[in-house]
Amino acid sequence: MSEDSSVAPSPEETILAVEDLEKHFGGIVALDGVDLSVGSGITGLIGPNGAGKTTFFNCLTGFYTPEVGSITFQGADITGSRPAAVAKSGMVRTFQIPRELSEMTVLENLLLAPPDQSGERLSGAWLRGDAFVDDELSVRERALEMAEFFELDHLLDEPAGNLSGGQRKLLELARALLTDPEMVLLDEPLAGVNPTLEEKILDRIHDLEAQGYSFLFVEHDIEMIMNHCDRVIVLHRGEVLTTGTPEEVQTDDRVIEAYLGEVDV
Amino acid sequence: MVDAGLLDAIVQGLITGSIIAGGALGLSLIYNIAEVPNFAHGDMITIGAYLALVFNNPAEIPFLPAFGSAPLPAAAIVGVVLAGALGAAYELTIFRKFRQKDADIITMVIVSLGLALVLRNVVLFLVGSKNIRYESASVSNTNFDFLVTGAGMTVRTTQRQAGDVVTTGLWGYPWWLLAGGLILATAVGYGVFRAYRREEGFDTVYLVPPKILGTAVAIATAIVLGALIQLAPQGTDPIVATRIGLSIKHLTIVGVVLAAMFALNVALKTTKFGRAMRATADNMDLAEVRGVDADRVQLLVWVIASMLAALAGVLTGWFATNLTPNMGFTLLLPIFAAVILGGISSPYGAVAGAMIIGVSMDVSVYLLPSHFATYRIAVAFLILIGVLMIKPEGLWGDV
Amino acid sequence: MAVADFLITLVTFIAIYSLFGIGLNLKFGFTGLIDFGHVAYFMVGAYVTVVLTLPADAATYGGIGGFDLPGLFAALGPLGSLFGWVLGVVGGMVAAALVSLAVGVPTLRLREDYLAITALGIATILNTVVKDEDWLFNGPYGISGIHKPLVDVFPLSLGSFTVNMAVFGLLSVAVFAYVAYWLVNRFREAGRTGRIAMAVSVGLVSLWYFVMPAIDGGTVELTKNVLWLFDPTAGPNGGLDYDRFVLILAVGFLAGGYHWVERTINSPYGRVLRAIREDEDVPQALGKETFQYKMQGLMFGSALAGAAGALWAVNIGFVSPDQFASTITFFAFTAVIIGGTANNKGVILGTTVFWAIRNGTRFIDVPSQYSIQLAAARLILIGAILIVILYYRPQGLLGEQDYDIDLPGSATGGSDDV
Ligand SMILES: Nc1ncnc2c1ncn2[C@@H]1O[C@H](COP(=O)(O)OP(=O)(O)OP(=O)(O)O)[C@@H](O)[C@H]1O
Ligand SMILES: [Mg+2]
Repeated sequence: MSEDSSVAPSPEETILAVEDLEKHFGGIVALDGVDLSVGSGITGLIGPNGAGKTTFFNCLTGFYTPEVGSITFQGADITGSRPAAVAKSGMVRTFQIPRELSEMTVLENLLLAPPDQSGERLSGAWLRGDAFVDDELSVRERALEMAEFFELDHLLDEPAGNLSGGQRKLLELARALLTDPEMVLLDEPLAGVNPTLEEKILDRIHDLEAQGYSFLFVEHDIEMIMNHCDRVIVLHRGEVLTTGTPEEVQTDDRVIEAYLGEVDV
Repeated sequence: MVDAGLLDAIVQGLITGSIIAGGALGLSLIYNIAEVPNFAHGDMITIGAYLALVFNNPAEIPFLPAFGSAPLPAAAIVGVVLAGALGAAYELTIFRKFRQKDADIITMVIVSLGLALVLRNVVLFLVGSKNIRYESASVSNTNFDFLVTGAGMTVRTTQRQAGDVVTTGLWGYPWWLLAGGLILATAVGYGVFRAYRREEGFDTVYLVPPKILGTAVAIATAIVLGALIQLAPQGTDPIVATRIGLSIKHLTIVGVVLAAMFALNVALKTTKFGRAMRATADNMDLAEVRGVDADRVQLLVWVIASMLAALAGVLTGWFATNLTPNMGFTLLLPIFAAVILGGISSPYGAVAGAMIIGVSMDVSVYLLPSHFATYRIAVAFLILIGVLMIKPEGLWGDV
Repeated sequence: MAVADFLITLVTFIAIYSLFGIGLNLKFGFTGLIDFGHVAYFMVGAYVTVVLTLPADAATYGGIGGFDLPGLFAALGPLGSLFGWVLGVVGGMVAAALVSLAVGVPTLRLREDYLAITALGIATILNTVVKDEDWLFNGPYGISGIHKPLVDVFPLSLGSFTVNMAVFGLLSVAVFAYVAYWLVNRFREAGRTGRIAMAVSVGLVSLWYFVMPAIDGGTVELTKNVLWLFDPTAGPNGGLDYDRFVLILAVGFLAGGYHWVERTINSPYGRVLRAIREDEDVPQALGKETFQYKMQGLMFGSALAGAAGALWAVNIGFVSPDQFASTITFFAFTAVIIGGTANNKGVILGTTVFWAIRNGTRFIDVPSQYSIQLAAARLILIGAILIVILYYRPQGLLGEQDYDIDLPGSATGGSDDV
């Protein structure tokens, strides 16, 4: 448990607070009483394979209902909320295995994301007032800008199913960012992305952080976590092993034993 | 004159349930292992019924020479075997091809719908739409009247013979015997349950789950005791009385379906192919990696399921004393309801689901005003939807 | 019966079933909902419209109603009672949408295969209810004496025989001209196989429609076929008869439904529907309330089926529960899949192919005792075509349609074509 989370953010900057979260799959205990709070900035979430990171994301975003525990996001209790409600409240996730809509074009995948489009309502689509046109034009502009940034702009009219593995990851990320989130949950967003683009994306994440976005970031590359995160949470067998600054975590004996010891750092 | 009551409705429901179960056994195999929600299953039932008709009553089929009539059991066996061959044909010419293309479940649904259309109309094309019956000895119902009196219970059996109601038997059980018999039956059942149950372990696989075996033994003991020890009537002035109508036909249907269930269960759990089937049901890709020949497993699934469907068809045609090209399709909904209700993963689940559906259909017909009789199938469906609303994965989950 | 009359009946059927199919396509093609109970909304639309427009004192009718909406506005003349009928159709569509709302609440959350089965079950139950509850809509006896909009106006005559023949004849030729123009354009766009298919089918149809009658029946038959809108035997001076009006009405409704669905699909709203079809989790993760979208798709598709039902009733002049068996749903699925799932033009093409096979084979001469065999053989053929198409061309004849959101002042309007 996390009694010693020495650097837990002070209450006023806590954005996401999770208490005693439990999730079971038959006999498997995927989350075994997770207690943690996440503040603004970039927070890393690390842990060995099967630690429960993805399950944790699924519980946070309403895809799974936890058996026990509560989730508070920006002061509101969102435990058991539907996924769409969580996303609308400002917490958006990406999927570890990209879920591109393969029969729709890359552009359509991106256009889907922005919230509150007038044409997304039946009335809007039927009546087609000025708001319909304005929204669609501005959404397109944003999508194009995002596509350019992620170097997908030459593929806009391709069905997303034709993208390469890395490009799918980028599309996944771009889509999440287009939803105007407060907090983005990234499930290994950079696995399989080439190094130059990786740097660019990390820069972008820092830019967005400066604009007030927060990130919770699953990544197996310890170096990246250490270099880019303000705080790190270590999950192990469904429990929080420890939280702290990258330096603190890196020198924690239990972390070294449970996780870092396994990999060659 | 004693009226049929709730008890009779339940017994009739179990018979209806057996008919449904015959179809549900095959459908659950296809649904679970071949992963096809098979909308052609109803019409596979029809095909089976007509295949038996070819040998039992060829005179009814326009283009066939009347080459004589085989007794229904023999015709049924030939029909079931031929249906198995057709099952292989469905798999080899249609479903295997779609599986190789990784068709999704929606496509499989529609493919099976196309097959359903073909099968039903092949029957219509070859035989026409008239009602046909099997050539078989007529079976008369025996009514069992149970009269509960101050001294115990009297049983009276009556039969209609040549237009008159004839009492064929009259006997009874005093209270002490009833109580003693019940205690004995329960004790035997519980004893079997205890003796059969093993230490709960990871690899404990029962051929028959101990609870089911125990219950079955208890019921069997009670019936055997009741049949063997028949004492003098305990008076015919009942406090409560109820009647159950039964015939050898009904008992045969229930017996055949239970035997099919048991045989299927043994085959799935003890034979090499059965284990391969269950592995395929869990995860087709993984099973292939472990060296299971998925194509052969699927072929076997379609063959067995078609044979079970044909069996159900013969029983249905015999039970309803007529065959129509639509007979299977009208059974499709209750069968699907039974399979989903029972969870699509085991023969016991399918039969249990079918019994629940059958009993609720007949009991609701008994309880509701008579003009609601046409809503039998609606009742089955409302139960299914109710269950799905609470448990979207079916009663025993595990998809 | 002249070939023209047969074609008018057939095309009316096709238009009605295409509208029905477009409703199904909205559910199945664009949103991914396998609604095996689609025919229930056809039935609800037909019955509710009929009852809303039925005279209050209709003989041999013992159900609720009739509410005689056309009679209410009859004082305003023929257009008033037409308005009453249109209100009735709107009522039928709303009723169909509301019934599908009630069906959708418990079933839309289920797995797709369970949805298919429960929808089929509910449609069967609804059909049983209509059949068994005499007090509702007259039970198994059905409803006859249905209100037919503007029936008193027809046969429509504009003056003398010559005037009628000239006006309606010109209109008929104009329709042919438009069809030819449209065909030529399609021919230009089509690929090689498409061109061959078009050339062969257009050739055969014109041979059958123009050349054969000329050989068989001489100029009278040919004239009838060419000036198809004009019926010389309708009324003293000839004119436009009611069957032809129903055809125009059905085609008009189809055009309206088509454009309405196109407008819905070619929009951000349609984008969400298609996203749901592909992977419902994705739009959910992006903050779209997918359940609401599925429900709206279901209700809209059902309302269109309801409108088709209203037209069906006018066309047949009689409704009874037997007309709404589940096979109608399966036929519509077949038509949608043949033409191209998620393609509204494909629905019309598929419906045409389907009903041409189903009804066109009546020209094959078979002794009447084999009529069951002929009917069965057609359905065997259709079932086989369904399987073959799913295997060799799962996208259907036309494949999924292109999408384009019309934006004034935007040059990139077509950039999201698939
Ligand atoms: N839907 C599910 N059904 C059954 N078990 C599951 C399910 N999802 C996750 N699990 C189990 O829960 C545990 C945690 O899995 P999870 O996917 O959360 O791990 P993870 O930390 O994301 O691992 P990785 O780093 O490999 O992505 C694992 O043991 C996994 O097998
Ligand atoms: Mg993970």
